[in-house]
Amino acid sequence: MISIGGRLTIWPDRCRGCRSCQMACSFTKTLEYNPSASYIILERDLETEKTAPMIKSLRCDLCGGNPACAAACSYKAITFEPNWESGSCE
Amino acid sequence: MTRPIDRTWFVDLTRSQVHVEERTYDEVADVLGGSGFGWRIVANRLPSGIDPFSPENMIVLNPGTLVGTRVMGASKLTAITKFPTVASADHRYYVGSCTSGGRYFAIGMRQAGCDRLVIQGKASEPVILAIRDGGLSIEPAGDLWGKGIDEVSRTLIEQEGQDAGVLVIGTAGEKLVRSALTIIDRTNSLGRGGLGAVFGSKNVKAVVAHGTGSIRVADPIGYNQIADELCERAMTWPRREHWIKLGLAAGWSTFKHTQNPGMWEKESWDKLYGEEKRLESLRAVIACASCPLNCRLRWVLPGGEFDGEQGLGSPYSKSATSGQLLGIEDDRKMIHLVTEANSYTGIDFYTTTRLIDFVTRMAERGRIPAEQDGITLARDYPTYQRLYTMTANREGLGDILADGWYRVQEELGLDPSEYWYAGVCKGVDFIYDARPSRFHPLMMTFLTRPRPHHGGSHTRTNSRGKTLEEIRDQAAHWGLSDEVMDRIFLETDYSGKFNVGRYTAYMEDLMRVKNAIGLCTIYTYQALIFADDMARLYSAAVGEQINARELIRRGERVSNLAKMINVRDGFSRADDQPPDVWFRPMEAPEGRIEMEDYYQTKTLHREDLAHMLDDYYEERGWDKTSGHPTPEKLAALGLSI
Ligand code: SF4
Ligand code: SF4
Repeated sequence: MISIGGRLTIWPDRCRGCRSCQMACSFTKTLEYNPSASYIILERDLETEKTAPMIKSLRCDLCGGNPACAAACSYKAITFEPNWESGSCE
Repeated sequence: MTRPIDRTWFVDLTRSQVHVEERTYDEVADVLGGSGFGWRIVANRLPSGIDPFSPENMIVLNPGTLVGTRVMGASKLTAITKFPTVASADHRYYVGSCTSGGRYFAIGMRQAGCDRLVIQGKASEPVILAIRDGGLSIEPAGDLWGKGIDEVSRTLIEQEGQDAGVLVIGTAGEKLVRSALTIIDRTNSLGRGGLGAVFGSKNVKAVVAHGTGSIRVADPIGYNQIADELCERAMTWPRREHWIKLGLAAGWSTFKHTQNPGMWEKESWDKLYGEEKRLESLRAVIACASCPLNCRLRWVLPGGEFDGEQGLGSPYSKSATSGQLLGIEDDRKMIHLVTEANSYTGIDFYTTTRLIDFVTRMAERGRIPAEQDGITLARDYPTYQRLYTMTANREGLGDILADGWYRVQEELGLDPSEYWYAGVCKGVDFIYDARPSRFHPLMMTFLTRPRPHHGGSHTRTNSRGKTLEEIRDQAAHWGLSDEVMDRIFLETDYSGKFNVGRYTAYMEDLMRVKNAIGLCTIYTYQALIFADDMARLYSAAVGEQINARELIRRGERVSNLAKMINVRDGFSRADDQPPDVWFRPMEAPEGRIEMEDYYQTKTLHREDLAHMLDDYYEERGWDKTSGHPTPEKLAALGLSI
């Protein structure tokens, strides 16, 4: 996915499953908290309880260049580089 | 500004009936909604004098008012019930609350539009309760009854979807083992002292919670700004790096003092169960919802008899104290037993271990016959393994252990006050020992709370060596008057540099606040969120401006409600007594350890504790002789019960 002015990277190994990214994403779009309505799904491996975020929706617009999910992730499992040349979402 | 609505779902299992009561927030605000209002429902609708296993008993599950909102640490669920632990020689039972975090369950309840679930009655067959967008359904448990916690949890998550929250009881809860607890979302335990057994008595194997609705706050922008500001505080906390690497395993530096049974040399305990050892089996640290600190653990045992065995939860403190008490040097053997308790039986590991320690040691000393029903008591690992299983299954001697300390006294003639570690009060053994811990306010809450467990009361005082300035600074955020602060920080010859009794009253009220709003206790333990922050959050969430003083006042109202419910069932100051063992020096390898005040200026005696209790009741405006709230106090708080 291409969007404006930066690159969003997901580091699945760093994810601790706190769901803050989901809450932040839904909040930034609707001013309400709702993990189910966020553009992120958290893949949950029931063998280990390991989670990993995935951006599932084509509606993700990188929050106009200031992704709420990356800002909310305390474990740096979603990061954002604002000045990435072409802008992409990995 | 849209103010939230408070919705309580009621299920009567006997009649298979469900109904919902909706209230405006103003109707629940005087007790902060959440578990505060749960306590009011219990006060108004739970008959006094009932048996905890009777259908009349209630379980009230309360997600906190802030749960699901991205405020750090707001992940908690509080359950209220009459616990089946036999709490006195004349068989009284306390009504108490317990609290736990999680990632899915409490949020799932709120997303489904259930701010509180009240469970009453008894199902005719084993059932699962499912909280979904469309309402509550009662579904047959089928062959899940009889299965272990983790298998049931996984099955239900697979059926319901990966975001489903689960609260599950184990085989011990089904068999009404009086200490049995529940496990939430596979990683968090809730309700030692028998919440799991109350579920079992109602034929409820599990509750599933899965909703898709939104969680709204009254002032979204203001609220979210406070959430960002607080998170920034946690991110710059100097110990964060260490904490996120180890989770709860990081607690060893405090824990090795507070939970030391004093049988082994400190160095050998460190080597066998300390931080380095923990790292050998630690595989991952898992966060509760919206927590930037994380503490839940996944471990895999390396080598030995249980090589490759995986567990979830927090095994290290439990295994370290129990290993020392039982004399088991191989940490993997103890962690294996914790794993079985968390993932299969749901017995409370603290209580079961101490009872096993008590009876096996007493058999060794010749105080009871080694030959007991179904087992020959010895001080070795195979015997312990067998006793954990027998307790969970209520087989032979295990049937007695499953009923707790008073039944052991009645059947085996062993007085619980003789037990050597930490002590027993109201039928519950304490997790910390007041002697190596030094007498800090959390020890006081074990006496004064209706349910003798901390319940999430932590403040800075629960670690050793905090300066008076640090303790005072934290309390300064409680919004108390100068007069009250002066009383708390007045040096006395019985409590030392601060007045533990008076401090405890407000610390407990703050605990009621945290439980009502759903905030994890780690944030007050590490002084990362203060009472005035909670007031700002609460105000923005519900659309009513209140300050810290008013917030604590509402917490006080909940404390009084909880106390009055127990007064109705015959509890009084006579039940709030410190255990004898606190006054017997611990004979540790490094020397005698006596119970001292927080700053170790003197040894504490029974009169000192009595003085502290006097101060506690006085600060609360309760009668010092009976320990009961006075009619004037209840009137001042606007409570009638
Ligand atoms: S990606 Fe980050 S914010 Fe999202 S669940 Fe994982 S750790 Fe939490
Ligand atoms: S960057 Fe995309 S996924 Fe992340 S919060 Fe913004 S819209 Fe949601």
